[in-house]
This record gives sequence, structure tokens and C-alpha cells, in this order.
Amino acid sequence: MKNFKFKLLTAGIALSGLVVLIAADHLEAPAVGATTADITDLYAFEGANPDNTVFVVSVQSSLAPAGNNISFDEDVMIEINIDNDGDLIEDRVIQAVPRGDNMYFFGPGTPSNTGLNSTVLDPDSRTSVQISGIGDEFTTTDNSGISYFAGLRDDPFFFDFSQFNQVVQGPTVAPNGFNNPGTNDFANQNVLSVVVEVPNSLLGGTFAHPAGTGVQVFNVWAEAKRKQ
Amino acid sequence: MKSTSIKMIALAMGLFLLQSCNKDDDNNPLPPQPEQLDFSGTFVQQDQMGRPGIATVFPTTAEEENMFNVTIPSEMGANFQSLFEAKLNGLHAAFGVEYENNLLGLDAATLTTVLASDVLQVAPDGPTIYYGGPDAILTGRGLTDDVIDISLILLFGGADGARFNGENGTPELVSDNVDASGENPQTNFPYVERPN
Repeated sequence: MKNFKFKLLTAGIALSGLVVLIAADHLEAPAVGATTADITDLYAFEGANPDNTVFVVSVQSSLAPAGNNISFDEDVMIEINIDNDGDLIEDRVIQAVPRGDNMYFFGPGTPSNTGLNSTVLDPDSRTSVQISGIGDEFTTTDNSGISYFAGLRDDPFFFDFSQFNQVVQGPTVAPNGFNNPGTNDFANQNVLSVVVEVPNSLLGGTFAHPAGTGVQVFNVWAEAKRKQ
Repeated sequence: MKSTSIKMIALAMGLFLLQSCNKDDDNNPLPPQPEQLDFSGTFVQQDQMGRPGIATVFPTTAEEENMFNVTIPSEMGANFQSLFEAKLNGLHAAFGVEYENNLLGLDAATLTTVLASDVLQVAPDGPTIYYGGPDAILTGRGLTDDVIDISLILLFGGADGARFNGENGTPELVSDNVDASGENPQTNFPYVERPN
């Protein structure tokens, strides 16, 4: 991880503004990269039951394989934001905050205020799941049909990040662009993931896709927020 | 935890019975009290993410990256579109060419307008597609979608997606030649692969 950061810095200095860095969201900004509030990825997809949607948010990039004592930060809330009308402002949120051996989930519910600052929806209306470690896989499903998971997982992201950092330095550094085959720099790395599978009936309304395809969608984004 | 769940169910059932027996009673019984944990306080944004890559693709200086992470989506377009467009054009200039409208027919201004609002569209009532052609785009992101290649194609691939494909003396910019073959997500909840 440090090696990645060093390369990023080197590339950034060399190109001073022309650099284009692509990772999913791993280690992307100095203020948050390599902290416990660093989001690595967001996935949102149709569940095995097509009436459900699955959300995966991962934090803390490029954790070493088994054996490391890594944990979620009790001061960091992971928040899934859903915009049901296309105005890019969240109408519903799902929140996850760890305490002890468990991850506590709140929502989906309407936030009391939108934007950069959040409070827990309703502290007494929550579901918890035991946080899974190396050999564990704890899950919980509540009465409303929502399933929950939190814990250490393989990083699903795949990317030749090292070569990319060469490519963005231009033709003099990487005249042939990417290598073939490339190298997956995220192979055998772990992340801390939160997974929530939610019945679509609990996720609110949809609007016409902004790309004009006619498909009905909602907008989703993930946030990591630190207790002040 | 199971024990807790059982207790909660027992409590809930008891409550239900009590309520059923006291329909006309204004003195509602106390609800079951969850374990006392402190979730108070204000949580302030540190990081955010919609589509893969955006926060790391275009904001490049430390100040830009940090600012992007604390700009709410509804204000991203106004604050970052012109910056994104300049970066996209600048990268092409580094390779001695100009941006060419991509597979979706989007010019640099339109593409960066789309990208600047960093949210992921999700279709709850349809299959999940990150990119499946101009008419099947962005209805979510699955665990094995090759989002890097798709991003590279849309940024550098030009009208046919094959510009800078490594042939005819061009550098390979439209694929990192890494695919999902090493990834083994589970078919059921929680889907994500067990740790290494």
C-alpha cells in the first residue's frame, strides 16, 4: 500500500496536473487515503432474489491476507445514500456503525438532514450482525427481509494499478501503454465490507435514467463519516 | 446474538399479547428496551463514492481530491465539470491527439458532465449492467464487472471503442488486460468472496 502511494505521489509530481488516476476509490485522496474512513468500493446489484437489491461498501484498502488484526472503526459511520427523484440529494439512507463485536444497521430511513453531517436515524431501531473474521461468515436477516453482513472479505476489485501509474506518465515512460497480460495488483488483498440486501419495496421510488434509456433507476452513493 | 434475537422475539410476542388484551387501555406498556449503546453525535463526511474511479480519475491535486470527497453530489457538476473536461483534454494532448467522441457519441463536455455527478444509477427492477452497449448502460455495478476497461474505453476508445487498442503503432490504453478470472464471488448472500 505504501508503495502504491509513493508511486502515486511520484506520478503526481512528475505530471503536475495531467495525471489521471484510476482506482475504484482506493487511496484516492490525501486527507482520507489509508485511514479507517477510506472507502475502496461501492457495488449495487440485483440479488439472487430479483425482488431485492444488494449494496456492498468496502473500506480500508489493500489489507494484507489472513492474520492481520484489522477492525472497523467505531467512530466511522458507513452510509448508503439513495436518491429517489434524481435531484442528487439523498431521500433514504442506510447506516452502519460498529460497536464491539457487532455492526449495527439503521434504516433504510429518511435522514433528519441531508449532506455532509449525519446523525443515527433512530438509535433504538436497529439490527445487528456479528462482525466476521478470517474463517467466519455471520449473517442476519430481520423481519422486514433485509439481510446484513459485515467483515473481512477478499477485495473484488481487479486492476493493473502499477502499470497505470506508468501509462499516465505518457508515451516516454510507457510507449506501449498497458502490458498484456496485465497484473492484478489487488489479487489476494482483503478489505472490510458491509453488505446489505434489501427488498426493493423498502427502497422507494425511481425515475427515468438520465442517459435516456427509459430504464427506471434510483441514484446510489456511499459515504464514510467520522464522529466529531 | 441468537439468544438476543430469541429474547427480542419473545419480548415482542409478549408485547403483542399485552396490546391485544388492552386495546382500550391508554396506558401502553413500555416497549422492549434494546441494549444501551451510545450512537449519539454528529458524523462528518470524510469520503464518498458513486461510480468506480471518478474520485481518482479526475481530481488530481491533493486539494482537488480532498474537496471532491466533501462536495455533495448536487454540487459536483457546477464545481468539477470544467476541471474534468480540462483533465480529459490534457491527457489526450499528452499523447499528441485530441479527444474523440466515444462509443456513446458523447463529446468531452457531455461526458465530463455525466461523470462529474459521481453517483451510481441502479435499476431495482431489472438486470444489473455496468455497460452493455449504448442502450444498456449503468443499471448498477456487479462484483465482476470490468469497470476499468469500460472506463478506459469510454475515455480513450473513441467512436468505435478501439482507438488506442495497441495496434497500428498505438499504445494500449483501452484495456489493462486484467479480468475477473481470479475473482470468485458467492452466488448467494453475502456474495463477496471469503478473505485471503
